[in-house]
Amino acid sequence: MIAISGVSKHFDEVQALAEVNLDIATGEFISIVGPSGCGKSTLLRIVADLVSTSGTVTKPNKGAFVFQDSALLPWLTVQNNVELLMKLEGLPNIKEKTCIALEQVGLTGFEKNYPHQLSGGMKMRLSLARSLVLDPEYILLDEPLSAVDELTREVLQEELHEMWNRDKFTAVLVTHNIAEAVYLSNRVIVMSPRPGKITHIIDVPFKKRTPDLRTTTKFSKLVNDISGKLRTWR
Amino acid sequence: MEIKKLLPPAIILLLFLGSWHIGALIYNMAFILPTPLVVAQTFVADFDIIMTGLALTFEAAFTGYIIAVVIGIVVATIMSLSNILEKSLYPYAILLQTVPVVAVAPLIVLWFGFEMKSIIIISIIISLFPIINNTLLGLKSTSKTLVELFEYHKTSKLQTFFKLRFPAAIPNIIAGMKISAGLSVIGAIVGEFIIGSGSEEGGLGVQIIYAQADLETALVMALILTATSLGFIFFITIQTLGWYLMHKWHESEMKRK
Repeated sequence: MIAISGVSKHFDEVQALAEVNLDIATGEFISIVGPSGCGKSTLLRIVADLVSTSGTVTKPNKGAFVFQDSALLPWLTVQNNVELLMKLEGLPNIKEKTCIALEQVGLTGFEKNYPHQLSGGMKMRLSLARSLVLDPEYILLDEPLSAVDELTREVLQEELHEMWNRDKFTAVLVTHNIAEAVYLSNRVIVMSPRPGKITHIIDVPFKKRTPDLRTTTKFSKLVNDISGKLRTWR
Repeated sequence: MEIKKLLPPAIILLLFLGSWHIGALIYNMAFILPTPLVVAQTFVADFDIIMTGLALTFEAAFTGYIIAVVIGIVVATIMSLSNILEKSLYPYAILLQTVPVVAVAPLIVLWFGFEMKSIIIISIIISLFPIINNTLLGLKSTSKTLVELFEYHKTSKLQTFFKLRFPAAIPNIIAGMKISAGLSVIGAIVGEFIIGSGSEEGGLGVQIIYAQADLETALVMALILTATSLGFIFFITIQTLGWYLMHKWHESEMKRK
């Protein structure tokens, strides 16, 4: 599990986060939504230990961080991009794992291509594959789907859901897209603008996450409900 | 290469040679302005002298260039390690660029002797700044997200340098190396000019001094063209190296559609 307690953050005079407490169960999928500048990205970076804090965060050892712009190394081939993090971490069976991971995200046959030759969706799949080969216990996702078109976005949401279902990692997703948060998560965390703090924690009751879920009234009702909570700050 | 690509510069060359030839014929003073034909004939006639000079100049410029590239990359790497190091060293790197090399060259010769060593040092001084400056720029502009990715995985500074910062800086390093390619030859010629009368056999710069003293203007021009070509070949070599390293992934070297 991931335990966030008493997490605050000041950037010079500005208070970005105020006393954030949150427990995320093992294998849970959590989304954090909130207006721009509410510090949700900062909170994710604090969990990742990329930003310092006065509070404490406990988390499992093995994790992965998926960035907004896929963060691929442009001079490495698809194959080498997937292998990179395993090599940095000194993991075994690199070739075999890469092969399986590329198959899973439908990039078999693109091993020798370079990132600039891939579409936005393929780049994100590659970025996800690169994280999954680490067998992470948790994955932190910072608006990973914000750069792709709407149609690809929904397909990638379904793929991400399948990965989570299959590999049973704990996931923390930061997103602007409320439907995305509802579709993927067990719980949606709503944050207020500066100083960022948690104002609502909403349980998402849906058992099955299939594309038709998006067209149901209870799905749109929940999305509208959360949007309403966010709109109060605009 | 396609003929279409070569044609425009070829036409310019022909126009240039044509007007030079006609101008020289009208002026009719070969010791001041020989025709391109006479320059070409001199090049063939004095081929041995020119090649001896070329070999020496090449040796000095090439050695100076390689040393400048190595020192430049090392110094830029040191500067990139911390703000304090950069702030304390960068002003002196600028001085390398602003020092009038021609004026300092006699001092270098005084300190290091009438030898190739001095020529190499002058070549290094003139080639160094573009390499330091461009490498530093490259090492400092690594994508923030990629740095975060490496930081997240607790990668050591050394590994981050070799796997991320250095490869990301290659386009800038090559850009700096291209500028310095021609400069290293200029530095060698300046060095040879100063050493000049000191030695019997000498590089292109020394030969130019001798030929000028003898009013062999055609030979002076043939030597200048040779020195220019040497710099050009240096440049093309680095250009090719850059293409080889980057054509698969970097915008600057990818085929334009």
